[in-house]
Amino acid sequence: MKGGIKEFLEKDRPEGYYEDLTKQLDKLNSRLHIFASINKDIDSGFPFSVKDNICVSGIESAASSRILKGYMPPFDATAVERLRGKDFGFLGKTKMDEFGFGTFGLNCDGHPLNPFDEKYITGGSSAGAAAAASVIKYHVSIAESTGGSISCPAAFCGVVGFTPTYGVISRYGIIDYASSLDKIGIMSRNSSDIRYVLDRIKGPDRYDTTCVDSKMGSEKAKKLVVIEQLLKKVDPEILSSFDKLLSKLQNMGYLVEHKSIPFIDKAIPAYYIISMAEASTNLARYTGFKYGLKVPDFAKGYNEFFTDARDSFSLEAKRRIVLGTFVRSASVKSRYYEKALRLRHMLIESLDAILKDGFMISPTMPIKTPKVLEAEKLGPVEAYSMDSITVPPNLAGLPHVSFPYDYLKGMPLGAQIVTKHFNDYALLDFVGKWEEQFDYKFKYDVGAL
Amino acid sequence: MESENFERLLKICRLRLEPGEKEAIKKDIGDILDYFNTIEGVECDKYSPSYHPVSIAQKKRADKVEPFPDTASLLKNSKIYRFYVVGPKI
Repeated sequence: MKGGIKEFLEKDRPEGYYEDLTKQLDKLNSRLHIFASINKDIDSGFPFSVKDNICVSGIESAASSRILKGYMPPFDATAVERLRGKDFGFLGKTKMDEFGFGTFGLNCDGHPLNPFDEKYITGGSSAGAAAAASVIKYHVSIAESTGGSISCPAAFCGVVGFTPTYGVISRYGIIDYASSLDKIGIMSRNSSDIRYVLDRIKGPDRYDTTCVDSKMGSEKAKKLVVIEQLLKKVDPEILSSFDKLLSKLQNMGYLVEHKSIPFIDKAIPAYYIISMAEASTNLARYTGFKYGLKVPDFAKGYNEFFTDARDSFSLEAKRRIVLGTFVRSASVKSRYYEKALRLRHMLIESLDAILKDGFMISPTMPIKTPKVLEAEKLGPVEAYSMDSITVPPNLAGLPHVSFPYDYLKGMPLGAQIVTKHFNDYALLDFVGKWEEQFDYKFKYDVGAL
Repeated sequence: MESENFERLLKICRLRLEPGEKEAIKKDIGDILDYFNTIEGVECDKYSPSYHPVSIAQKKRADKVEPFPDTASLLKNSKIYRFYVVGPKI
């Protein structure tokens, strides 16, 4: 498949193309709430948007949090800096769950709505990034995943969502959630555009010591492994559709094997323990006078001043700070935090053994896209358990892609494919092959030529 | 979680909750800790803690001073007095 970037760059664009594009998006944004801001000054290049927790120089980057309102980074994140230039133009910042704390895209002011049907959620936390990729014909979203924040909304909004091996793309310029889990990734309408962007933004960075310089491979696999436990709580209609996908893939020459990882359901509590522990320390930097929100009363003592500032966190952020602080406390650290770190190590070894000569495949989400009203009613444990399939590869730092494979009552379904560390390109090859015989559907084509 | 421990935790976290928020979070924390406790039965003590999901070599930078070209931009997000960031009393 050619992909949108090459097609766009080869085509002549009418005069006023970018002005029309931003006007149309402005109008659509008043309904779907996809963008935190739209760059009206864009006048060249293939449009790219950036999730609101990734810094863009001189543009408000608030991670959709009230505590960072007004924060203007004086620098570009490395991924953004590497993308700027003659081929790309910055289009805007996309909305998200505050700091990435959410599965449904609802944890922010004026949350995004699903472009396929506005009664439904987009998924999160890269909610606006997925919706933007779905509505704009020529565009890529720079997004971020900690525990499934790219795969989940990609599945619900019917786009391709790529999460790389941990450390392949520099994290410099991310507003941190959980430093050992955060990964910048890419969302688009096709795998070719993701490959194009990945080639531009990957690689070592002197500003991020966790950014690795390992060579990325493209080792193909004939075997697709389905982990039994991951399908246990999957909606029956999704299971039926997923079975049809497996049959199609078998017809394409893949072998399907079913395997078992008995403890894989424990990846979710382990993930939440680690991510909350790291989040509770990362959020301590928002003190009310250095970034974003300013507490006006400097006469107050530091503790009172700091407490005033933290009133601006959402209820979910407060919940994670309290729990993250608790699991790190001396009396229970070995029971929760250290145990979760050991469990992650065990999970990595188990998944490595399975991925040695095959890919892992599953539906991306265990549920059909929920309506906004349904998702709002879920309690935290119910909501966290929706990440049952997206968490394991994220916890293990493994590359994975969610791609559309079916439509159920007009809403897209996504499948997730996972490979071993640094074999990222093999996943894009796999999805590229899938795209040769399956046409993705979109409701909008904003910016079509 | 006991009320006394919960209040202590809020103090450590420097969080002030409204009465409604306090009850909601306290209940949620009980449910979430029950969920976290499900990892207790997993036998994984022989594995070392994984601080990163991939192996990352130690990287060191040369210990040399480099000029930063635009220090003024770093201060734009703060209230400034002369060349100091203004903050609360300690």
